[in-house]
Amino acid sequence: MKDREIDDILKQAAQAPHDVDPALLDRIVGSLQSSLGPVRPLPPGWVLAGGLVLICAAVALAGAARAGFYGFPKLSVLDRALIFPALGIFIWLAATACVGEMVPGSRRRMAPGSLLAAGSLALLAVFAVLFRDYRTDHFVSQGVVCLTAGLLHAIPAALASWLLFRRGFAVNAVAAGLVAGTLAGLAGVTMLELHCANLEVLHVMLWHTAVIPVSAAAGALVGKVWPMRTRA
Amino acid sequence: MHPDSDLETLMARYQRGDFAAATALIRRLSPQLHRFFVVQFASRGDADDLLQETWLRIHQVRHTYRAGEPVLPWLYAIARHIRVDHYRKARRTAAREDRLEETPEVAAALPASSGGAPDLEALLAHLPDSQREVIEMLKIAGMSLEEVARATSSTVGSVKQKAHRAYERLRERLSGGGMGAGRAGGPS
Repeated sequence: MKDREIDDILKQAAQAPHDVDPALLDRIVGSLQSSLGPVRPLPPGWVLAGGLVLICAAVALAGAARAGFYGFPKLSVLDRALIFPALGIFIWLAATACVGEMVPGSRRRMAPGSLLAAGSLALLAVFAVLFRDYRTDHFVSQGVVCLTAGLLHAIPAALASWLLFRRGFAVNAVAAGLVAGTLAGLAGVTMLELHCANLEVLHVMLWHTAVIPVSAAAGALVGKVWPMRTRA
Repeated sequence: MHPDSDLETLMARYQRGDFAAATALIRRLSPQLHRFFVVQFASRGDADDLLQETWLRIHQVRHTYRAGEPVLPWLYAIARHIRVDHYRKARRTAAREDRLEETPEVAAALPASSGGAPDLEALLAHLPDSQREVIEMLKIAGMSLEEVARATSSTVGSVKQKAHRAYERLRERLSGGGMGAGRAGGPS
């Protein structure tokens, strides 16, 4: 049997009338009538994505300003030219993915899990290429401090992003939480790159980059247990 | 006027609070949405409830529709969300209930509807949910591959693959084999 014959059978089956009880339709129309008023549509996607990027930048800069810009002066021009544009690109990608998750039926360019993996792996590659200090002095004690600081900055980034997010409607709350967590985690890593003066390659690769998956996992968990409410 | 742009116009008017546009949308899109639920659940009672719930949710989030974008992916993404929610609740309830007797298997044959055409629900009944919804959106709702990908939060490649697998199963079934299987899988 050819595809065209299956097409014909499906077409024939689809043409069979399918009526809905008119009383049900009247009930639906009646139930919406009382609350039918004009609503303000969401702003364009680039405005929302721009807003999310600004939030991340503001949180990272404010955090580094408060804790001290000790890391930025220690980076070479090449380090800065590779690390910050890479972070900027992934923050933009995560922000547009966030906007896609808050509007039903949006085009999805990259699955949330792929974005998380690509962002983390790209940063790992950049750090591996740039840094050459293989010592592991105070590896765990300093690492936990950095991981905690990164996550503590991811929280305000996530909360501020939620102010933009709450007008949307995530049909997949777990995916939306994962993407929002990834975005917030990137804000935390940006803050660490500005602040942390420890340029040991293993420290940066493990403890700085870990902020992204940990934050993403926390976001997915929040999405799973806390159903999203929307504001019209 | 092109039917899609007609829907977009109605949706924009609905967002502005136009009651006539809301009524027109409900009357025009409800049959295909209802069928979408019937194909998934086979119970008109469930489909009635889901249709009502879907329109209520659409009403609550109507501000998330973007002017100029296709309406059907937006609408089906919400309908699909309602269906998956309902499926999960039903599964939780079923897990808590004691089964009294075995239920008969669905769609053992391909009964014809009153007009002589094959019955759509029976035809698609043996497909896994993810394939069934793709075929339903492509062939019954008349959506494009791109629109189905948007509605199911997946890629065009994945939609093509599901449609291809569904056609293989349908071919096998329509050619005379594999008639006894009931429904398989859960919503993806």
